[in-house]
Amino acid sequence: MIFPRDATRRTDHKAASETFYDVVVVGSGISGAIIAEQLSQAGKRVLVLEAAADEDRSLKGYEGFLSRFYAAASKDNQSPYPHNPNAPMPRSTDARRIWPGQPDSSAYLVQNGPFSSDTTYTRVLGGTTMHWEAKTPRMLPQDFHLRTMFGLGQDWPLTYDDLSPYYVQAERELGVSADVEHQSYLGATFDPGYVFPMHELPLSYLDKVVAKGVDGTFVELDGEQFELSVRAFPQARNGVPNAAYDNGKGYVPVGAVNTHQVEEGERCQGNNNCVPLCPVQAKYHAGKTLAKALQDGRVDLLTRTVASKVLVDPATGRVDGIEVKVYQDPESPQHTTMIMRGQIFVLAANAIENPRLMLASGLSGSSGLMGRNLMDHAYLLSWALLPEMAGTFRGTNCTGGIVDLRAGSFRRQQAAFAVDIHNDGWGWATGAPYSDLVDLVDQQNLFGAELRRALPDRISRQLLLALMIDVLPNESNRVTVDPAYTDQLGNMRPVISYTVPEYTMRGVAYARQFARQVFQRLGAADHTAYDPTDGAYLTYEGEGYVIRGGNHLAGTHMMGTNSRNSVVDAQQRSWDHPNLYLVGGGSMPTIGTSNVTLTMAALCYRSAERIIAQLQDELSARLQTPAPTELPMPTVVAAS
Amino acid sequence: MTSRRDLFIDLSVELTGYSRVQLLGTGMSERYLQALDEVLPDGMVDEFLATSAALPTMTIDAILRSETWGPVTRNIMILWYCGRWTALPDSWRAVHGTRPADSNHVISADSYQAGLQWVAAGAHPAGARQQGFGAWTVAPEEAAS
Ligand SMILES: Cc1cc2nc3c(=O)[nH]c(=O)nc-3n(C[C@H](O)[C@H](O)[C@H](O)COP(=O)(O)OP(=O)(O)OC[C@H]3O[C@@H](n4cnc5c(N)ncnc54)[C@H](O)[C@@H]3O)c2cc1C
Ligand code: SF4
Repeated sequence: MIFPRDATRRTDHKAASETFYDVVVVGSGISGAIIAEQLSQAGKRVLVLEAAADEDRSLKGYEGFLSRFYAAASKDNQSPYPHNPNAPMPRSTDARRIWPGQPDSSAYLVQNGPFSSDTTYTRVLGGTTMHWEAKTPRMLPQDFHLRTMFGLGQDWPLTYDDLSPYYVQAERELGVSADVEHQSYLGATFDPGYVFPMHELPLSYLDKVVAKGVDGTFVELDGEQFELSVRAFPQARNGVPNAAYDNGKGYVPVGAVNTHQVEEGERCQGNNNCVPLCPVQAKYHAGKTLAKALQDGRVDLLTRTVASKVLVDPATGRVDGIEVKVYQDPESPQHTTMIMRGQIFVLAANAIENPRLMLASGLSGSSGLMGRNLMDHAYLLSWALLPEMAGTFRGTNCTGGIVDLRAGSFRRQQAAFAVDIHNDGWGWATGAPYSDLVDLVDQQNLFGAELRRALPDRISRQLLLALMIDVLPNESNRVTVDPAYTDQLGNMRPVISYTVPEYTMRGVAYARQFARQVFQRLGAADHTAYDPTDGAYLTYEGEGYVIRGGNHLAGTHMMGTNSRNSVVDAQQRSWDHPNLYLVGGGSMPTIGTSNVTLTMAALCYRSAERIIAQLQDELSARLQTPAPTELPMPTVVAAS
Repeated sequence: MTSRRDLFIDLSVELTGYSRVQLLGTGMSERYLQALDEVLPDGMVDEFLATSAALPTMTIDAILRSETWGPVTRNIMILWYCGRWTALPDSWRAVHGTRPADSNHVISADSYQAGLQWVAAGAHPAGARQQGFGAWTVAPEEAAS
């Protein structure tokens, strides 16, 4: 079982709507789960509202996902999840080319262009980490001060050192496997004696083949020399626990659970399916934190409950309720509208759904920044054939990469980037190994022993570099809503306007050169080809590129130092609504070259502390006022 | 008399380059035969197996060149290697008709994992599960030898 038995049945909608909670959280993803778990530990009563259906609450449901994934013809990363018109979600296969002035509204995300991104997120119980890849690098110290250093982007109202203790908490919860000696680079520091919960996952043979050609070589950028090396990525997947963790107390991983594979233990098996789903749950997902939150009975969870409006008292600016639409059947628009109440409200629905909900509630904020500054890493793929067998298609999707160009003075002119070496070969770019097999069988007419010999030759030498490139905030990249576009429940859908910034494109052009250089050092034959008919095809300075979405959504309710330059403060509290927190990637002012989730987890630990303190403060204040306020009666509106 | 499954395995050995033991070890032979029964018009699987029973007089080359059996045979190779069925070409369907099961789909969760593509890549031993923690760090067999 992932969740305590009947945890989702503990309360019903009527009882919940008649309860005044300490905190009401929208969204059961990693952000919401961390907040709920921390508040529950502090003895607070919490209600978590989740739009998705709850069939996935048990391990049986998880395995159902898995079967659906394996059996899906199109293995895009949403393929395990059932279609739910009442809580729709984007799929990477939705993206189409868009023409000026003609938004593409055929899929859930209305793409207003000019760039049509294939970025995705998942609206299921547990949110997007149910299928993430689980790379967990910290941001670099430089990433927090880009405006001060280079006059670019926004400074954070926080430093790396401020966030460091919360990174430690996040690394514990996610169960990060990494080695401090390989993560102390480009200014990243760790407390003396710190070790990660688990040792780093060993580099793949493919990584080592790349390292042979790359380690110890240099590139020069902006007059600075950078020595390159292949390094293991920190990952939230179970490796070998580090006995030195927590001053020698060690670390007990949250085990892999699987009804028919228990005997295989809890470590990552390297079966190369991390995205979309880990078959043995060696990979962290928010269900693990949610299960803890639900353990002690102070957290109520309601699924099939879509937050549709944030209700604000115009006199005080305080949120006094969240209107929700409750459905039974995902296929039917039948629903009941109710209001959930509490002392403090937390929106943890992700960087697209948070601003969507606020804007749909008519709350664009005093800064006017709600929904603006949408960021998502730009991925450029480059692929080549190595001169030797490298054992591609073994191990987790990615174990190592080249991260030496994540920081430097060159960032004045062009975006920094990190490089993943993909253990799943050209899969992301070409559909390998299936596409290779079809070619060998259909075009080359091979069969039998010849086929058996030819296939490894084709796939075991594949090298794919995924270059993840920084994107800075830009106010015109944004999420809006439009009453012309609604879902089955009548909720307005997100409308995305997006351009890949010029600064990023300069980074893209350099990253492509960099990949070529790496291929040359390895004697690998470049097979990269960008399809001009691809919806994500862009030209820059005469060269064409295809930019893939990074699924690292951020910036849309940015944190800052005041109510004019930001939507939330450094604790993720809304400047406009003192009892409202908007948490998750949306709060991040910049994303650097770090996959965003570890940082958002750290921010959520920090916010949880602040929320607990605020509850205490407000309780003391209330105790001093003689007449306690009556609990307002819930309004129940009939089904439409 | 040779059973349907034996005929199917004999043919699959020729097509895939893997031995009888290795193919049986995937645990998928019955399921794949069933998939063929679902996709091809009634009686056609037996006709096909009868044709292949004429091996080696009837060469694989000849089967692959046959308008009728070529596309089916190629699909069987993809089935063994990837665990998925690929819809037959329109020209084939125009002659032999279409069954609803003749669509692009992965046969089952097991078939995906049992695909010989993973064996070929040295990722999983045939018929067994993945190799386990850290197995990805060592050289693949071909590179080591
Ligand atoms: C394929 C893929 C790979 C990724 N790999 C990585 C990686 O390697 N490293 C990394 O750092 N990040 C990665 N990410 C990103 C990562 O998954 C997200 O950053 C993270 O999950 C966001 O967490 P969240 O809790 O803020 O939002 P989510 O996980 O999106 O959770 C939001 C929750 O809110 C619910 N919800 C939404 N709207 C409503 C509503 N109106 N009412 C009620 N509930 C609602 C949703 O159903 C969902 O459960 C990846 C993402 C994808 C898609
Ligand atoms: S490689 Fe496999 S076992 Fe390891 S985390 Fe990924 S899916 Fe899970």
